[in-house]
Amino acid sequence: MKMPLTFMLNNQQTTLEVDARQTLLEVLRNQGGMTSVHRSCEEGECGACTVLLNDEPVNACLVLAASVQGASVLTSEGLVKNGKPHPLMKAFTDELGIQCGFCTPGMLMNAYALINRAGDNLLTDQVIRKTLEGNLCRCTGYVNIIKSVHTAQKAKLAGEWW
Amino acid sequence: MKKREERLILGKGQYADDLAFFNMAHLVFVGSPHAHARIVSIDTKKALALPGVITVITGKEVAAHTRPLPVQANFTSKGWTWRLADVYAIPADKVRWHGEPVAAVVAEDEETARRAADLVEVAYEALPLAGDLRTALSPGAPKVYDDWEDNKQVHLVFDFGDPEKAFAMADQVLQVTNREGRVTGVPIEPRGCVGLYDTKNDTLEMWGSFQTPFLSRHNIAATLGVPEAKVKINAVDIGGAFGLKIHAWKENVVALASKLSGRPVKWMEPHRDFMATGPHQRDVFWDGTIAFKNDGTLLGLKATVFHDLGVESTNKGIAALSIFPACSSPTNMYKWVGMHVEGIGTVTNKSFYCAYRGYGKDKGIKFIEAAINQVAKKLHMTPEAIRMKNFIQPDEFPYHQINNYVLDSGDYPAVLNKAMEMADLDFFRKRKKELAGQGRYLGIGLVTAIEPAGVAVPNCQMGGITEARVLITPDGSVEVHSDRTEIGQGAEISHATIVADILGMDMAHIHVKRVTSDFIGQGPLSSRGAVYPASAVAKAAKLLRKKVVQCAGSLMKIPADQVVLEKGYIYPVNAPEKKISYAQFADKMFFFPGPRGLDPEILKAHDHLLDVTTTWYSPTTPESGSSYTSFCVSADIAVVEVDIDTGVTQIVKYVHVHDAGTIINAQVVDGQIQGGIVQGIGEALYEGLNYDENGQLMNTSFSNYLIPTSVEAPDIEIAHLETPSPFSETGSKGMGEAPIIGSKAVILDAIEDALSDFGIRVNDAPATPEKVRKWIRQASGQNQ
Repeated sequence: MKMPLTFMLNNQQTTLEVDARQTLLEVLRNQGGMTSVHRSCEEGECGACTVLLNDEPVNACLVLAASVQGASVLTSEGLVKNGKPHPLMKAFTDELGIQCGFCTPGMLMNAYALINRAGDNLLTDQVIRKTLEGNLCRCTGYVNIIKSVHTAQKAKLAGEWW
Repeated sequence: MKKREERLILGKGQYADDLAFFNMAHLVFVGSPHAHARIVSIDTKKALALPGVITVITGKEVAAHTRPLPVQANFTSKGWTWRLADVYAIPADKVRWHGEPVAAVVAEDEETARRAADLVEVAYEALPLAGDLRTALSPGAPKVYDDWEDNKQVHLVFDFGDPEKAFAMADQVLQVTNREGRVTGVPIEPRGCVGLYDTKNDTLEMWGSFQTPFLSRHNIAATLGVPEAKVKINAVDIGGAFGLKIHAWKENVVALASKLSGRPVKWMEPHRDFMATGPHQRDVFWDGTIAFKNDGTLLGLKATVFHDLGVESTNKGIAALSIFPACSSPTNMYKWVGMHVEGIGTVTNKSFYCAYRGYGKDKGIKFIEAAINQVAKKLHMTPEAIRMKNFIQPDEFPYHQINNYVLDSGDYPAVLNKAMEMADLDFFRKRKKELAGQGRYLGIGLVTAIEPAGVAVPNCQMGGITEARVLITPDGSVEVHSDRTEIGQGAEISHATIVADILGMDMAHIHVKRVTSDFIGQGPLSSRGAVYPASAVAKAAKLLRKKVVQCAGSLMKIPADQVVLEKGYIYPVNAPEKKISYAQFADKMFFFPGPRGLDPEILKAHDHLLDVTTTWYSPTTPESGSSYTSFCVSADIAVVEVDIDTGVTQIVKYVHVHDAGTIINAQVVDGQIQGGIVQGIGEALYEGLNYDENGQLMNTSFSNYLIPTSVEAPDIEIAHLETPSPFSETGSKGMGEAPIIGSKAVILDAIEDALSDFGIRVNDAPATPEKVRKWIRQASGQNQ
C-alpha cells in the first residue's frame, strides 16, 4: 500500500511516497537518496544503517518507515554544513578513524548522539566503547575510532560544533 | 591531505549498493536448503507469474550459455595430488553445500525479486553427506565429486633442507597438534555489482566490489565466452575485502543475466548469503613433531596439515593454493636443518575456501610458534630465550631459507627486545605469581613472526603480474593508475605520497584513479600493495621524473642535474626565482614543445610526453623461486586474565612491535596493525562457523557469528622499527597480514600460560568461554 510520509529529514520537511511495508533504511536510501545510510545485515546487528530518530540512534533497518511520520530523522549527510565536514567528521579523517568507510556513517551518528548527550563531561574510553558496541567495524580495530571521538569531543568543548 | 577519506566522510561514497543505472533490473539468488542433494526438478512458473519478474536463470541456462568456471591454479604437473572439477556458478545436477545457488531471479525491483525467489520450487533428493574432514577422508565416504576417486583434492609433499639429518641430530622430539576452526573474514559490506551487457557492441562492463578487476575480467570473460578485450571491470568504493572479494563467480551470473535480458542488472548480496555462500578459511588440523637439542637449538619438523576446504577450491576460489604457504611458513624466522611438511586438502559439503588475511602463512607460523613455546616449556627456557637462540641474525641478510624464501632484511632480536621492554614482562610475570594465590589467572603470551608478503607463484593466477602508469596531464595534475584497489587499506594515500615525493609535488595534485581491469595486476592480495603495485608506481614516477628533469633542463638551458623539483615547482638550483609551476611546464611540453624549445633529441625520443607505463616484478623470485619478496617482522606480547568460573578471557595488555621497512604513511600502517590484531583476536576467542550434522550452517548472522565489537577490542600499544627492504622500490614491505598472524597465535599462548596450573594445552581455536570451561573441567577431573 502506497502512502505519503512527511517527516523532517536532515532538518528539512520532506514528503516521500512510501510503501507501508518499507523500512526506514529502504526509504532513506531509495526514495530519500541518503546513500550514506548503509545496508548490510538488515537485522539490527551491524549498525551500518544507524541514524538519529528524534535525536536517538536507531538501526534504520528495524524501523518501519511509516512510523516516522512527523518525526525528525538525521543522517550523516545532515551533519554537513555548506559542503563543509562536521567537526566530528574532521576528527574521523584526522585520526584515520575511517578505513573502508562502510561502517563510518552509522558510527558517526552514534558518536554524534553520544557527544551531544555527554555535555561537558569528558567521555572515557570505556563509555565510548560501550556506546559504540552496536556499530561493527572490521577494519580499524576501533582504536582510531575511539581516538576520533575524543578529538571530536574536544572540538565541541572548544566551541567548534553544530 | 586525505582526498578519499574526506569524500567518504561527507557521505559521497559510491559503494556497490549505491549504483543505479537507467532501466536497471535486480537479481536475487535462490539458495539450496540442503548440503548435498540431487536436483530433481525446478519449477519456475509461479515465480515467473509474479508481476515484475523478468526471468529466472537456473543451472540449465547457466550450462547452456556459459562455460565452466576457469581453473585458477593447477599443479597436476608436479606429481602431487591436485584434482580439478568442472563447475558452474549455478549447478544443474546436484547441490554440494547449504546455500549453494540453484536459481537466480531477475525482476524490475529487488523486493519483487526477493519475493519471486521464494516462489521458485525445487525438488531435491537428499544425498548422504561428507560433512567434515574425518568423514570425507574415511573409506567409502559419500563423494562430493562423483568422478573423483575420493574426496582428497590436494596432497602436497615438501622436503626443505635435510629433515632426516635434523631428526638424527636431535636430543629430543616433541609431538604438537593444533586445530583452527572455520572462519570467514566477513567485511561489513557484502559483495555486489552491476553488469551491463551492451548488445549493440557485444561488450560487457561491470561495476562493483571487485578486489582484483584484472583477474575478475579474465574469469568472467572466460565463463561467458566473450573475448577478454571486450570486457571491462571497474572497482567502486569497497566496504572492506580482506581477500573475500578477490574472486568472481556469482558475478558471472549477473553478467549473464544482463546479456540475456538486455538490461543493466544489479545484484547486492544479503549479508547472511555472504556468510553461507562466501569464502571460508582456516579449518585446519596440524599434527607434527619438532626436533631440537637440549640447549634449545631448533633442528627440524615433520608435520602434516589437514585442510577442510569445503567444495572444490580452484574455480570459485583460489584457496587450495593457500596450502602451499601453510606448508612453507613454519620455517618462520629461525635457522633449521630440515623440514618435511605435507599439506592435505579435502573437499566436504561446506561453502568454498578462498583467501582471507593470512592465506596459510598464518597457519604455518601459528603452528610453529605454538610448537616452539612447547619446546621452551619442556626445556624450562623462557619463550624469548629460545627465540633469541634461533633467530636469523641481522648480518645474515639476504638469508636463503631452507624453503627457498629469500628473507630480505630485519633485526629480529631488536624487534623482540623492544616488545619485551614495552610489555614490562618482568612485572607481569611477578604479578602472575602474586595473583595465583588469590584465585586469579594471569597469562603472558609471546609470539614472533615474519610475514611473507607480495606473492608470485608460477602456474596460477597469482604469478606476480603488475603494471602501473603515471601521467602528468597538460594542466599539471597527475594521474596514477595501478591494479591496487582501495579496500580501506590506504592504497590511494600511499600511492599519492610516493608519487608526490618523487615528483616534488603537492599531494593535492596527485589523483589516484579508480582501479579498472585496464591495468594488469593481481590487485591488493597477499599484502602485495606495498611490494608490487607500490614498486611499479614508484618506478613509473622515477622514470617520469627523469623525463621532467631532462626536459626542464633543456627548456631552462641548464644541465639536468641542476634542475630542482619541489612543492609543485621546477627551477634551476642556482636561480630559484626562475621557477615555473608544473602546470606551466606541462602545458609547454604538451602543446608548445618546439621546434627550438626543446633539444631535438628529446623530441625524437618523445621524452616530452610526460606519461610512463611500466611493470614491476620481484628481483628475487626468478632465480630463487622465493614466492614472496618482502618479509615484515613483528613481535606480539599479550597479557590476559582468564576467569576460570566463566571461562571468559580478558585482554589486559597488548603490545605489537613491527618492522615493515620504510613506512610510507604511519597512520595507515598503524590502522592496518590495529585492525589486523582485532581480527586475530576474533579468530582466537570468538569466531567459528558451525555446520550441524545435516550440513546446515548454524551461524549466518552477526548475532551468532561473533566478530569483536568495540567492547572486546583491547587498547593496542605499537612501536615501529624501520629496516628497509633492499628488494622493493621504496624500501617498504607488505604488512597487512602480519598483525593477524601474531594476534591469533599470541592470545591462545597467553591463555595457555594463564591456565598453566591446570596443565592445559590450548590448541583448539576459538577459545570460547564454553571451551575454556570444558578444558578446566577435564583437567580438574570434574564431570560437569
